[in-house]
Amino acid sequence: MMNFRTFILGLAASFGLPWLCLIVIPTVQYQHLAPIAYDKEKDGVDFTSYPPANINGQGQLVYIREGCNQCHTQMIRPVQLGLDGWYKGWGEDQEARPSAPVRPNVLRDYLGEKYALLGVQRVGPDLANYGWRAPDANALHQHLYAPRSVHEWSNMPAYPGLYKVQKIQGQVSNRALKLPKKFAPPAGYEVVPTPEADRLVEYLLSLKKAYPVPGQSAVAAAPAPASK
Amino acid sequence: MQTNPSTPDTELQADNLRRAAIDKSVKGPVLFLFTNGAFWLMLSTILGVLSAIKLVEPGFLDGCPYITYGRLQPAHINALVYGWGLQAALGVMLWIMARRSGQELKTGKSLMITAGVFWNITITIGILAILMGKSTSIEWLEMPKFVWPVLLVCFLCFAWPIARMFGRAFRPEGFMVSTWYILGACFWFTWIFITANVTLHCLPNLGALGAGIDAWYIHGVILLFFVPVGVGSAYYFIPKITGQPIASAQLASAGFWTLAVLGGWTGMQKYMGGPLPAWMSAVGACAGVLLLIPVGLVGLNHHLTTIGKHNAVAASPTLRFVFFGALFYPISGLVLALNSAFWTGASLQFTQSWYSFQMVSVYGFFSMSVFGAIYYIVPRLSGCEWLSVRLIRNHFWFSVYGVGTIVIMSLVAGLQQGADLNDPGHWDQSFMNHVINSRPYVVSRAVAWALISFSNFMFLFHLLLMVAGLGRRSTAPTLLHREHDEHALPAHA
Repeated sequence: MMNFRTFILGLAASFGLPWLCLIVIPTVQYQHLAPIAYDKEKDGVDFTSYPPANINGQGQLVYIREGCNQCHTQMIRPVQLGLDGWYKGWGEDQEARPSAPVRPNVLRDYLGEKYALLGVQRVGPDLANYGWRAPDANALHQHLYAPRSVHEWSNMPAYPGLYKVQKIQGQVSNRALKLPKKFAPPAGYEVVPTPEADRLVEYLLSLKKAYPVPGQSAVAAAPAPASK
Repeated sequence: MQTNPSTPDTELQADNLRRAAIDKSVKGPVLFLFTNGAFWLMLSTILGVLSAIKLVEPGFLDGCPYITYGRLQPAHINALVYGWGLQAALGVMLWIMARRSGQELKTGKSLMITAGVFWNITITIGILAILMGKSTSIEWLEMPKFVWPVLLVCFLCFAWPIARMFGRAFRPEGFMVSTWYILGACFWFTWIFITANVTLHCLPNLGALGAGIDAWYIHGVILLFFVPVGVGSAYYFIPKITGQPIASAQLASAGFWTLAVLGGWTGMQKYMGGPLPAWMSAVGACAGVLLLIPVGLVGLNHHLTTIGKHNAVAASPTLRFVFFGALFYPISGLVLALNSAFWTGASLQFTQSWYSFQMVSVYGFFSMSVFGAIYYIVPRLSGCEWLSVRLIRNHFWFSVYGVGTIVIMSLVAGLQQGADLNDPGHWDQSFMNHVINSRPYVVSRAVAWALISFSNFMFLFHLLLMVAGLGRRSTAPTLLHREHDEHALPAHA
């Protein structure tokens, strides 16, 4: 029937083929993936190359450490599969009913990231293009410090560890969060963000993964930047 | 096969002595793995309760930054997979391989115990690191980078002797399907684990491809490690206890090789529609659905073997657990197919149905089969019988109902979440509907994990008594006789 060597060879061959095709060859090919230069006239963007910005690594570390990807994805699917692209505020267009869907993400959108945080589940909204819909930094700090002060139904954890409650010395710090009464610290105290919270907020504000792909018509992909 | 011309009686006795010698030779490492695994299982289920509560009420135990959902959930999964799953699997693999190949474990016992100690210390550090904020956020590989080489070496300290036993006893004419699966599990896990860790931890910047490799790793560990161990032990214990030979060798062989061929292709469909090249997720989806073939073949074979023997399922604790584990195998295949096919997967993607798949395969299928194996193996190693029918029965029913609830509720929650996400009525609104609609499912998950914790407490307690040698002194095994069910059982039953 079958001897030991044939058995092992059979195992190696049956597993080696998918291993080669799905892991080894794509990994080698990925090393050659490089940013593409924008053609200013055709693409209508001000950046020189795509993807335009480097990722904020310091802030991403906080995002990784806290396991944000357990509940937040960073991936927009094409409309024929999921209807993410039409969701309010999930792209650059902040209208309640966007005129065109957000483009789905492609491999190059995550170029330069050690590990793309595509996400485990969507307990909370997608964050691929959060930078465009985010409120200003102070409001974002309030959201991270006390999510339920923003949405009373929220199931997002609070991150008091990223903030410092300190005694007000002289004047109230200009960094102090403006919190509703229920979430505010005791009188005479104020809540200020730590440097880590600042990095995390910078990272969240930098999440803009829907820049037009060079060569693809910017008008079709995202009409708003074309008018600039 | 050396058979001496002797009376059947002395032959039987010699056979029993040989078995006892084999059991004695693996006793230390196997009991070590089971006991430590049971502790981790206990911890993991408690973390499961906590993380489900935190998902509904994030303010629960407020002020402790170590137990936000984002840290608890990976700790819960890692304790389940590396603490319980791998240790229990290695224990079962070692024992079945020694018995099936008729070989005593001659050398390397103390090396195994040392490896086991290192394994547990490393996992403890790794899981504490996740809770203290050193998580890598790479799903199923959240423990810090330095953990994986230690785990790999410890795994090989067990896998290598197991493979050696297989090699020494290999008989081309004899068909040994359970040992095929167990050798396959040793082989595949090593390969998958090295690949995933080298690519994700040692290569620079893989971006979205890294996420794809991680999804491949998770599916690989489930389909090519947990599934083979579960199926292998089912193939060992079902014929052993029912006294029936495996119904069809052809079905068994076909089930093995289809799994071997398809298992490595699946995984990347987790990110269907995502940034990965489309063919990758398409191939994964295709393999995910085609895996229904090996699942069906194995299921059919078990069904044909156990047909007409269902009273043995009621009486023997081992067979009861293994049988229900084997029932969960087709269910896990079905959940995988639902998650994989683009048709249904598009709405189940990024929902709790992903958790449903992990739990039905790691808990419903794998752990239930392994519980059955433990109920068979431990009395033979510790020299005493299980103390209490009631503890076993409670363990069984709370586990079945608990894990059934988790699987069904997570799957239905997935349908709900997918429908909410694709409902045009919600597009211009906040995420409120999603959060509120999924609450009841998560509450039921918390309750189910609490039931399972309770059942595992009984299991751990019972196991510790056995390991301490405080079991029943009897030659008759502890059985769950059906006719006794109606009456109050005497305490010593």
